[in-house]
Amino acid sequence: MEYMEAIEVSHLIKKFGPLTALNDITFSVGEGETFGFLGPNGAGKTTTIRILTGISSPTSGTATIFGHDIERDTIAARQSMGIVSENSNVYDDLTAWQNMIFSAQLYHVGRKEREKKTNELLTIFGLHERRNDKVHGFSKGMKRRLTLAMGLVNSPRLLFLDEPTSGLDVQSNLIIRDVVTDLVGKGVTVFLTTHNIEEANVMCDRVAIINKGNIAAIDAPERLKKTIQSVQSIEFSFNHNSADQLDELRRLPLVNDAQKAGDKFKLYTQEPSEVIDAVMAYARTHNLKVISITTLGPSLEDVFIRLTGLKRAGGAVHAID
Amino acid sequence: MPSIDLEGGAKRLSRELSAAWAIARKDMRIYYFKPNIIVSGILFPLFMFLAFATGKNAPPGTLIPGLIAITLLFSASSIEPVSIPIERRVKTFERLLSAPISLHSLVFGESLSGFLYSLVIACLPLALGVVMFSTAIQNAPVLVTAMILTSFCFATLGTLFAAYPTENVGEVMSMLNTVRLPLIFISGVFIPISSMPLIGQKIALFSPLTYGNDMIEFAYTGKSLFSPLLDIVVLMIFILIFQIAANRLYKKFNE
Repeated sequence: MEYMEAIEVSHLIKKFGPLTALNDITFSVGEGETFGFLGPNGAGKTTTIRILTGISSPTSGTATIFGHDIERDTIAARQSMGIVSENSNVYDDLTAWQNMIFSAQLYHVGRKEREKKTNELLTIFGLHERRNDKVHGFSKGMKRRLTLAMGLVNSPRLLFLDEPTSGLDVQSNLIIRDVVTDLVGKGVTVFLTTHNIEEANVMCDRVAIINKGNIAAIDAPERLKKTIQSVQSIEFSFNHNSADQLDELRRLPLVNDAQKAGDKFKLYTQEPSEVIDAVMAYARTHNLKVISITTLGPSLEDVFIRLTGLKRAGGAVHAID
Repeated sequence: MPSIDLEGGAKRLSRELSAAWAIARKDMRIYYFKPNIIVSGILFPLFMFLAFATGKNAPPGTLIPGLIAITLLFSASSIEPVSIPIERRVKTFERLLSAPISLHSLVFGESLSGFLYSLVIACLPLALGVVMFSTAIQNAPVLVTAMILTSFCFATLGTLFAAYPTENVGEVMSMLNTVRLPLIFISGVFIPISSMPLIGQKIALFSPLTYGNDMIEFAYTGKSLFSPLLDIVVLMIFILIFQIAANRLYKKFNE
């Protein structure tokens, strides 16, 4: 069987009046690949997804889904997709069962198959017992699970997942991650957009980082991390931790930046061994005990921050505008 | 092979119609009993009618054709201007826009729910005429055709106005009412077109309600301004124009 890319995007440009939302982007996603699409707000993620799902048209350039041009052969291209949008866009006034059946009808799933698939998916997502309840009584996590179930009702070869686990309870989070892992195991291509960079790091074969309408980088997470080896860090915890220590630690020699997260401090440096010595000396001077200390390579978040021009401030990430 | 193409075309058409029907059924389940639809689709035409009928010396039974016409206008065009902005707000409209169906089927499916709602509601004045005032229907097939075409025409008009990219129901309703309200005065519902000034008569030609009302009048009285055949052709042209315009606007506003 001939190999076909799941998604091929070529020289895509999208302009809204004078604003260029996408500036000549090109990338491809292989069949069976889990592909992360990361970027700060307003970077062009949503515009790209709207073009790839045929809702919006590009100003120029092309996009194909399993060889079907999304502009000229929209319906065939969409038939192979499942779309799980960031908002849990389910019908509150319908039951879970009616939502599923409606979604199946939109995707032309036959009567027997849609009932079988609906039963199967509602069971997998832990909603079968509530199938005849109207959705307006569901929790956020249950709505999210139903949204994902609706996106899978046509057994898609390509799944667009927009912020799948954002703000969810642990149970929903685990169910969704398990289902996605299972889908990937079955060869489904996943196009994931998320603000949770660690999620992308764990789940994705490759990630693209988009910024201001341009693809800033595209590669496997580990290879991307290697490009910024200069951003290393040490993470440690004292027996007594306080926010006041952060400023002093930030002023230690060779420390580029410092963060406090929970009971741990994280110091960014190009020379981890020398900073470890400085931290030990600081602990001795202040009568502190070091409970744990670890050296860390650059994270995908570090790569993201470096490539998008964001900066850390007080442990949070802020955009530079 | 042409036969294969024909088969493929029939299958595609069947899929599109089935998806359009699913959209219509979804709207029926969710929106038919929403308070603003009941007010706009049932109470509004009823009170408008009572306001104008009161004081007229005509026997009540003779006012039934006009009541049917404005009920069709208001009820058919009331579903989508409510449902679509709400669905934009809760993002379920994106689900429809990204489904593997054509925009034509989406517009058709949306209009279908307004059409069916309106047909049911218009049966109320029809029954009122028969039961309360013994209003005779002289040509039932013409009445049925008139109700179907008028209802579908205004349901498509409602879908067309709902293309305006807002999440606010009031905004669409305000725009729609600037068209719906004048229509009832220029279309021969309350004032016969023949008694209107020349300019009014000319403007009446551009109102789809003129032709729907004309057919309904013909069905009840056997008298009409135009022939029912002409009314049918003009209403079909209006439906086509509204459908194409809606299709273009949904495409344009979703960019």
